[in-house]
Amino acid sequence: MINNQKDVLMDLVINNKHISIRAGGGRCLLDFLREDLSLMGTKEGCGEGECGSCTVLLDGKAVLSCMTPMERAIGREVTTIEGVGRPGNLHPLQQAMMEEGGVQCGFCTPGMIMSGVELLNRKSNPNRDEIVEGISGNLCRCTGYRKIITAIERAAEKMS
Amino acid sequence: MSDTQEIIEIKFADHRGYVPIGSSVIREDALAKVTGQAEYSGDISRPGMLHGKVLMSPFPHALVKHIDTSKAARMQGVHAVLTAKDIPGENVFGIAIADQQVLADKKVRFVGEPVALVAAEDPFIAAEAVRSIKVEYEPLQGVFDPLAGIKEDAPRVQEQGNILLHTKVRKGDYLKGFADADVVVENVYRTHGQDHVPLEPEGGIAWIENDGVLTIYSSSQYVFRDRKQVARVLNLPVNRVRSVNTTVGGGFGRKDDVTVEILVSLLASATLKPVRLVYNRHESMMTQTHRHPTITRVRTGATKEGKLTSMEGVVYGDTGPYSSLGIFVIKKMALHLGGPYYFPNYKCDSISVYTNNPIAGAFRGFGIFQSAIVHEQQMDELAAKLGIDPLEFRLKNCLREGLSFSTGQVMNEACGIAATLERLKEYMAEHSLRFSRNMEVV
Repeated sequence: MINNQKDVLMDLVINNKHISIRAGGGRCLLDFLREDLSLMGTKEGCGEGECGSCTVLLDGKAVLSCMTPMERAIGREVTTIEGVGRPGNLHPLQQAMMEEGGVQCGFCTPGMIMSGVELLNRKSNPNRDEIVEGISGNLCRCTGYRKIITAIERAAEKMS
Repeated sequence: MSDTQEIIEIKFADHRGYVPIGSSVIREDALAKVTGQAEYSGDISRPGMLHGKVLMSPFPHALVKHIDTSKAARMQGVHAVLTAKDIPGENVFGIAIADQQVLADKKVRFVGEPVALVAAEDPFIAAEAVRSIKVEYEPLQGVFDPLAGIKEDAPRVQEQGNILLHTKVRKGDYLKGFADADVVVENVYRTHGQDHVPLEPEGGIAWIENDGVLTIYSSSQYVFRDRKQVARVLNLPVNRVRSVNTTVGGGFGRKDDVTVEILVSLLASATLKPVRLVYNRHESMMTQTHRHPTITRVRTGATKEGKLTSMEGVVYGDTGPYSSLGIFVIKKMALHLGGPYYFPNYKCDSISVYTNNPIAGAFRGFGIFQSAIVHEQQMDELAAKLGIDPLEFRLKNCLREGLSFSTGQVMNEACGIAATLERLKEYMAEHSLRFSRNMEVV
């Protein structure tokens, strides 16, 4: 099937910035972010909602951008890893992931941080079980998760 | 270590106030990774870039009678459609033995084997063009089990026969060892295949620089070997190929051999445009290497005092239709089937067999996992039969300095198994843990 969907007006807020552009519709939010906006921090690991690498926040809620039609983001607010914190102004979870060794190959890291940020936004002091539950949709093949969980704990301490 | 040898204390320079060993150091690339700025293979683009897509075989074993690419070639937005006949150099690669075709020529040997390549202006057009290629196949009987593959009348996966390598390791007199044994444990073990699933599927981008140098950025574990293999297929001198490693989103052995490097190079060279090709998860699982499934028949003997006397085993490794690093992985199993234990007598064979299953190659552990499943269960069963604590049984038999490995190599350093077991013993005592009858820690 050739993508012959009509253009749509993508009017939304991305990383606290209002944008309004015409773009070829009928694609997933992940492709729109990467191909049209060059926000390459959001990753595709499976393209079918299994791995969590493509996690972004939609109106503050963690969603799988590979499973979300781009049109669903119209009029709403999207946050990607690029909007979480930049060098020199890191989110406490980004800092903790670095210090605790929660980052190895790094491919799951943006999605993992998005799930962690959402958890920390809705719960200021999550226990270990709640953290495990919070990142249960994100696969990591390198770390064995323990250091990521510790990093989220550390970030929660810093933020409280 | 001899008594006269001095132990030299190594002092590291105190650099910026820390000594690296024993201190926690933040990875160099951690900042780029936590901010989403690290560039993986699929994140790199170039002006005018095309998208590559691979047509893969739906059959595990079939003759390729005819390929019709005419419809794909006529599609708007398609810049190249390539098959085996378009390869400028040799249609062959392989990190250990060059036995794998880049694009299927006369026959396909596994589901997922690349048959044709397309470069197009967008991924949708590339996918549509791949679907429009018509291939006429004549399915053949296949080999799906290494034990079936070694039979005289088995279908030939490779023309020279289905046995890739037969490794024999001999030490002492294994029959005498069994004659000396009071108990013998004999078993057959099967281990399954496994996908590495690096979270970043294989990908890369290639283009021709102004000076004519073919440049490849890819997610690779071994750029120097990639470069040599690309040069051979493209019929280029090695110094006209530049291989650059992007950030790698997990490899675990999967990206040791060439993945997409040759494919993007062929497309870039045919179109004179940058071409990027990133496998989706499904394509990655079909076409890339996996862990070897194995079948091991083994028997192990020990005296009633708990001393190992002999080990005999045969390993059949399912390496798929091409060697990749399979030749070394299964070779190692014959060496390591006895594990870190001392056997005065040892006779183990490993046979790497070509099949029409997915290709097996390097995967961390490199044959040692499959061996460990065998020797540790043999040790547990022997200990149980002899009524000896499994930890004590291992301590009685583990390799120590002065004892020899299966190959006859005498251990003279870095033989830490005894110290590891002693520490485990202390730990279990401290925490009042012991092994139950079925070898669970209670």
